[in-house]
Amino acid sequence: MIDMDGVSKIYRTEHVETHALSTFTVSVESGEFVAVMGPSGSGKTTFLNVAGLLDVFDGGSYRLDGEDVSRLSDRAMSRIRNEKIGFIFQSFNLIPDLDVFDNVDVPLRYRGVGARERKSLIEEAVATVGLSSRLKHRPAQLSGGQQQRVAVARAIVGKPKLILADEPTGNLDSAMATEILTLLEEINAAGTTVVMVTHDPELAARAPRQIHMLDGRLMDFSRDVPAPLFDPSRPRLDPVLSV
Amino acid sequence: MLAYQLRIAANSLRRTPVLSALLVAGIALGVAVATTFVTTFHVMASDPIPGKSRQLFYVQVDNWTPDRPWDRDRPEEPPDQLSWREVQNLLASDLPARQAASFKANLTVHPESREERPFRALTRVTRPDFFEMFEVPFLYGGPWDAAAEAARSPVVVLGEATNRRLFGGDDSVGRTVRIEDRPFTVLGVVAPWAPRPKFYDVTNGALQDPEELYVPLSLTLEMEIRSAGNTSNWKPWDGEFADFLESESVWLQMWVELPTAQARQEYEDFLAAYVHEQQQVGRLTRPVNNRLRDVREWMTVSEVVPPEAKTMLIIGLLFLLVCSINLIGILLGKFLGRAPEVGVRRALGASRGSVFAQHLVECEVVALLGGAVGLALSTVTLRVLNRLFTEGAERELFTLDLTMLGAGVALALAAGIVAGAYPAWRICRVAPATYLKQQ
Repeated sequence: MIDMDGVSKIYRTEHVETHALSTFTVSVESGEFVAVMGPSGSGKTTFLNVAGLLDVFDGGSYRLDGEDVSRLSDRAMSRIRNEKIGFIFQSFNLIPDLDVFDNVDVPLRYRGVGARERKSLIEEAVATVGLSSRLKHRPAQLSGGQQQRVAVARAIVGKPKLILADEPTGNLDSAMATEILTLLEEINAAGTTVVMVTHDPELAARAPRQIHMLDGRLMDFSRDVPAPLFDPSRPRLDPVLSV
Repeated sequence: MLAYQLRIAANSLRRTPVLSALLVAGIALGVAVATTFVTTFHVMASDPIPGKSRQLFYVQVDNWTPDRPWDRDRPEEPPDQLSWREVQNLLASDLPARQAASFKANLTVHPESREERPFRALTRVTRPDFFEMFEVPFLYGGPWDAAAEAARSPVVVLGEATNRRLFGGDDSVGRTVRIEDRPFTVLGVVAPWAPRPKFYDVTNGALQDPEELYVPLSLTLEMEIRSAGNTSNWKPWDGEFADFLESESVWLQMWVELPTAQARQEYEDFLAAYVHEQQQVGRLTRPVNNRLRDVREWMTVSEVVPPEAKTMLIIGLLFLLVCSINLIGILLGKFLGRAPEVGVRRALGASRGSVFAQHLVECEVVALLGGAVGLALSTVTLRVLNRLFTEGAERELFTLDLTMLGAGVALALAAGIVAGAYPAWRICRVAPATYLKQQ
């Protein structure tokens, strides 16, 4: 599904050049559930943005679902985001003026789906996340966990092949976080590839595969990181202090 | 998709009602001013007889004194009217398809009812070709014919308002109305007709009301009908009315209908030959200086559209442009304030093009609302103009017809594009990733 080879992303200001991704190479197969971990500034979000075609990259190559996306037009990238990718964000990013139905409706509008089919898809997606009784509620009338479930519904309504989740539980308590992760596991079980950025090692541990990033690179633990730091038999560090 | 974009626009306007009201007011003000001046220009400059304006020609012959030109400011121009002698001589030609000489007068009408007092009626003293040449519409009956003209028959065509006043609006063909000292038989009633400008007699006011009565030119001498319009002469005369008619005073307008270029050339040759002939008998002493101008040319030369009107038109349009440009900053702030939402929509599949279109639609919604308010305001400003320039006239000169309503809407939409194109472009260029983590 995701096949990046030597991808680099550089942010330039007048005085500073930041290599957010540096010869980044990673492959994610279809149907995988991958957790991405790393310290702040390691490039996790940049990786997600590049993977989701929200940002362009400066070097290397990237094939998404077998298609080279290096030189696509904005229109083509928008179409791919709409049809193949679903996004879930830490701060939910729901549109405050719209109710649950209309928020979930947004990606379908850009796909040009007819009204009847949209209604059916929306009701199905909202039912999947257990919020059928909240269709007319605005985001401000929902709890954090409910808002994130609406965001999940919006991400899956178009039946994408890939879900990119950036700290989906970052603003939730542990109970709600578990609920969301369970939803993601169910979505993955249905065949959708899930790539999730998280700071939480317990949540990451539930993903069948974890990748670690540092300084814009994929970590090779056999070479780059002393083994004791990741010895699972060691007592779990306080999350605030964990790397 | 348009319906969806309209919904988003409506939501956006509702979210910031004060800001939206400011935007609408900005456009409304510009549209009101621009539409007002566009309408006044349109009324003055529009082709009053489309389809025929290139076939009707105003005749000018220079019968002025050799000592000085008729118009010192434009010495090359001949007098803007003809003398009675010129008209009688030129009417003898059978070259034009139709021809009509005329002048305006004020005749006294004596209503049948003793309860109604006699009144002075603006009259067009003319020939029967006048009606067909200028496509005058009739409610009842029609004009007199050439035989009645030649026989100096006391016949009259009434204007619709006069017919209402005298006969209650009924079919008055065949009825009698006393004009001046004699009874006239009504042959026809003109339907409401008010060409703007009054192109067939611009020398006496292009914005004046149309006439209330039409009587044969051949009655001029017998009834001693004097012109109520402009009369100019370079040689004093004294004596009877008949002597006045023989003088070089210019007071009549003459139009000929020449359907083809060849007909025009033939008539021009005829005019030149006529002037030569008059020179040889010692009457016309200035060099040949004839003019044969079609309707649009005559309106241009006569400055029916004053330079001030053109200036005001440009000012009005510039004012709208300034109003639109002033709104760019407000729209830019409004749109960039929604960058996080745009980032989300982009993430969900909106292309730059659709974001641009969505915001431009919002601008056009504001523009249309502003345009509606502006058009309503312009009816007020036009009413003020009517009061200033045509007070006492039977009908308003400056009004918003369908064309001007369309122009107002077009101006509003254009203003929306001017105001919104740059802000919409800026917001569609926003990198979505920048805002997705910031909310």
